[in-house]
Amino acid sequence: MATTLTPKTTASVGKVILSARNLHKIFKTPEGNDLLVLDNIHLDLAESEIVALLGRSGSGKSTLLRCLIGLISPSSGEVRYRNRPVTGPMPGMAMVFQSFALFPWLTVLENVELGLETQGVPEGERRRRALEAIDLIGLDGFESAYPKELSGGMRQRVGFARALVTNPDVLLMDEPFSALDVLTAENLRTELLDLWEERRIPTKAILMVTHNIEEAVLMADRVLILSSNPGRIISNQRIDLPRPRDRNDPAFIAVVETIYRAMTTPEAAFVGAAAAEIDHTSLGMRLPEAEVAQIIGLIERVEAGPDRGRDDLPALAAEMQLDADDLFVITDAAELLGFAQTCEGDITLLPEGVKLARSDIQERKVLFAEHLMNRVPLAAHIRRVLAARPDHRAPRERFLTELEDFMGAEEAARTLDTAIDWGRYAELFEYDAREGRLRLPENGG
Amino acid sequence: MRTTFPDAGVLRPRLKLTPWDAVVVPLIIVIILLLTIAFQGASQPFDVATTPDLTVSLDPINLPYYGLRTVFRMFLAVLLSLLFTFTVATLAAKSRRAEMVIIPALDFLQSLPILGFLTVTTAIFLGVFRGSLLGLEAASIFAIFTSQVWNMAFSFYHSLITIPRELREAAAVLRLSPWKKFWKLEVPFAMPGLIWNTMMSVSGGWFFVVASEVIAVVGRDNDQYLPGVGSYIALAIEQADIAAMVYAGLTLLIIILIYDQLIFRPIVAWSEKFKFEQSEAQEVAQSWMLRLLQRSGFASSLNAVGAAVRRSIPTLPVREASGSRVEAQSDPRPMDRAIDRVWYGMVIAVTLWAVWFLATYMFGPGLGFENGRVLAANPNVNTDLDPEIARQFAAFGVTANPDQTVWLSDVCAATAGGTQVSAELAALVRNERVGAPDDLAAACAVPMAPAGKVAWSEVLECLWLGLLTTMRVVIWIGISTLVWTPIGVWIGLRPRVAQFVQPLAQFAAAFPANLLFPVAVVLIATYALPQNLFQAPLMILGAQWYILFNVIAGTVSIPNELKEAAQVLGLRGWAWWRKLIIPAIFPAFVTGGITASGGSWNASIVSEVVSWGATTLTLSGLGAYIAYWSTGEFNPHVGLGMLVMGLLVLAFNRLFWRRLYMLAETRFRLD
Ligand SMILES: Nc1ncnc2c1ncn2[C@@H]1O[C@H](COP(=O)(O)OP(=O)(O)OP(=O)(O)O)[C@@H](O)[C@H]1O
Ligand SMILES: [Mg+2]
Repeated sequence: MATTLTPKTTASVGKVILSARNLHKIFKTPEGNDLLVLDNIHLDLAESEIVALLGRSGSGKSTLLRCLIGLISPSSGEVRYRNRPVTGPMPGMAMVFQSFALFPWLTVLENVELGLETQGVPEGERRRRALEAIDLIGLDGFESAYPKELSGGMRQRVGFARALVTNPDVLLMDEPFSALDVLTAENLRTELLDLWEERRIPTKAILMVTHNIEEAVLMADRVLILSSNPGRIISNQRIDLPRPRDRNDPAFIAVVETIYRAMTTPEAAFVGAAAAEIDHTSLGMRLPEAEVAQIIGLIERVEAGPDRGRDDLPALAAEMQLDADDLFVITDAAELLGFAQTCEGDITLLPEGVKLARSDIQERKVLFAEHLMNRVPLAAHIRRVLAARPDHRAPRERFLTELEDFMGAEEAARTLDTAIDWGRYAELFEYDAREGRLRLPENGG
Repeated sequence: MRTTFPDAGVLRPRLKLTPWDAVVVPLIIVIILLLTIAFQGASQPFDVATTPDLTVSLDPINLPYYGLRTVFRMFLAVLLSLLFTFTVATLAAKSRRAEMVIIPALDFLQSLPILGFLTVTTAIFLGVFRGSLLGLEAASIFAIFTSQVWNMAFSFYHSLITIPRELREAAAVLRLSPWKKFWKLEVPFAMPGLIWNTMMSVSGGWFFVVASEVIAVVGRDNDQYLPGVGSYIALAIEQADIAAMVYAGLTLLIIILIYDQLIFRPIVAWSEKFKFEQSEAQEVAQSWMLRLLQRSGFASSLNAVGAAVRRSIPTLPVREASGSRVEAQSDPRPMDRAIDRVWYGMVIAVTLWAVWFLATYMFGPGLGFENGRVLAANPNVNTDLDPEIARQFAAFGVTANPDQTVWLSDVCAATAGGTQVSAELAALVRNERVGAPDDLAAACAVPMAPAGKVAWSEVLECLWLGLLTTMRVVIWIGISTLVWTPIGVWIGLRPRVAQFVQPLAQFAAAFPANLLFPVAVVLIATYALPQNLFQAPLMILGAQWYILFNVIAGTVSIPNELKEAAQVLGLRGWAWWRKLIIPAIFPAFVTGGITASGGSWNASIVSEVVSWGATTLTLSGLGAYIAYWSTGEFNPHVGLGMLVMGLLVLAFNRLFWRRLYMLAETRFRLD
């Protein structure tokens, strides 16, 4: 079903600079099984466009970005940059990292110059261009500072200067603003957009990974949405709003709303594109890393909201001051547990969800436990194993290795910890973190 | 286009001298001069057969020169260690297959007793540097090297494999060449850990410098005294010269002080900038020497020349094509797996061969058995390894070995199985300094191990001795923990005192404890004190400081709020210790304990046999066993001793320290 999605309008789009065809990426789980992360990705990045890549946490956005720039090799398929196959990082492509990735032992100037050293730029010119880039990005006066003396925003400026000093054709950014506070991020975003609009940087195209829907709509000419598990491009949407864009503009709000809709289809949600194919009694289900208090808090809020049991997600995100991504983690959990449903950018409580919101603490636990047992195979499995053992105990490791059949080590640990967290709340089992051991509650639960 | 090398332009405008140069320039010239003098001394001719025995003079006027030679050895050992670290540890971090071999090998090597290496390598180096004193120098340097290199290599390896993923990716996107990546990313990232470990290694190294300058050479009746403070001390001990001991102590004190101020502190202060942390540290290490160098015009122009030279080095063509990928082996190809299998096979085969080789070397061809029976031990009857007695035996046709050993089997061979013993030989055998069995004929009748080889009964004996030494290590580590923990905590709770005591404790750790051994000998001999109680603690004398300063460091780093909370909760007495202090200092203590126990194992070789003048006190243990068999040439007995000690240390670390370490990591981390 994977068809190439081409932009609807091609009027303002120039020639393609970076493209991916039939891209697949398969990781090996620690237990040696295959884990399909990227499935048949087709993607074109054309001259003078900014493309934003959205998707749930763990959907493979970073992996895709790293395949494109040549940091990791695709399992099959091809990436081409200006018609040359990409087999490793190439001149012409630069990258900005979420954690800045500056070299702490080099000064700002040295960090920026580093990008030029490998391009064989002579020393004098190197210095001049580095200073220019520093100037451009608003860092003058900090040339001889070390990164650790700078604030997060200033550090990311160095990250940008280091990328831009090489005059890159294509700029790839992996959540460049997500480690910054709201105001700093806004400030840096605006400045970057100004540079881009005024053509003060020679960069021809930008691809950025983000989990912030508003950010995507503010910056991008096109938004791609990656489904989860495995990652496929399930939506490709042009944004033709004039710049500078205004968050309160009804047209802007409408676009945000459509993207929310696209992000709340079952494929995009954590259940994933392969939802129909995966066996729901299998342990291989990843769990969204939401806390019980957050899940119940959300359900209570929706139940008590103006529409009694139904709410608009963009509005909720704004009200709760959450990034879309953080909100999705919670709605995914509520959905998985059978308390709510998301669709068309809205969340709707199911009868069970309403019941949960209205019950007292003890009833809540019982209801939650019931849903957990019925809908999360991992929780039921842990219960069964513990019950079968004479001493009703089992080490965490035991379950971890089981999960590692299906997913990467980090993902497995995250999923198990979430299950443990939920199970503890539901009093299905207890966990001794010191010994790393699970056991049935004393009274048999 | 660059035509000159280095760029002339880089030099000219910068050579601006400042007043500080009045100190820095002479200092640099003096250092170069001293290195030249030391090298001249070290490269004099030396022939095993003809050169007269090397010795030192106890006249204190020589001490500056001896000090220089000792420092020179230390300096070369550190250089070698760095070289080894940069190559071998890097290889281990970069190649999965190499890693599989190198890491366990280093782990085993680091548990072997350091002074054992002296015996292993002397003959080899004398062969390599035939006719030059450098052979003996190299043996001594190599012993120091082995005392330093392992933890440096481990630290570097560990840093390399923990470089954050995004930094590695940034380096790849910037297309840094492997060479450039090494110097711009990997070395700087590993720098703080490496420097700290190097400094600790050097501190520990002084102990081994002192112990490794007197070298037994096969074919020589007397030990060779390389010019150096260690030899000076050894001679002073032999001659029971108290004044000389004091002079030597002062010399070492000054050397360590200079080393601390001129090298240790500047480097630590300089390495602050490599610390990979997000925020600026509260307290930054300071050094006057570093400030001096930074202000000196000469030093900075030297630096500029260095930078220019470095810039001219990468003559490799700039890569226009793509850089390398960063991927960790996520999906090994079938080809890779095939190579893996071959490689595993090879490693297993080589290991098996090495074990077989070692076993036959130690036990002889039958591996200690003959016709299904266990062979008896074949003792050395020249118990004191006295050259005079060896010569007397040789006169009766008993094979004399270059290391003065006289094996029972050879005595039997010369006397037709102990039946034809001449009166003179009988007298010699009866000599109280000869350890021959009373009934020679009966002893010869039992099948025994080949000459020079060990028997299984000796393995058991070695294990028993090992157990004795282990017990001493355990008991004394325990006692020094009990003594130093309260003191360290007391100090750590008072930041002012801690600031003052911390460097003192570090200094004490660097000061070679072997210098103080004679005091114990005199006390024990004069007052007939029980050896087990008074001689055994010598092995912890130098190592105990690691416990002290780690406890202090641990206590200092307890967050103030935690202390206040304990106060508010009314924790006091034992509860205060159990709930707050012990868990909080535990990780630091474990680190110190590991170092201290490693140090005392190593020290056991020197401290189980101590002497002053004519008095020699021996405590039975594995250390004494190894010391006894360190005769100048590697032999099956010293091999057995080293092997047993290595395995014991390895087991001890695995079963005891490793567990505590895991506990500290998982349960008691303060963050
Ligand atoms: N080296 C690896 N080995 C095994 N699995 C991996 C590896 N790298 C990533 N994965 C898995 O691939 C999936 C996609 O990871 P990726 O980091 O690309 O997601 P992402 O969309 O960037 O998520 P986030 O928004 O959290 O950054 C995850 O399930 C992750 O566990
Ligand atoms: Mg990511």
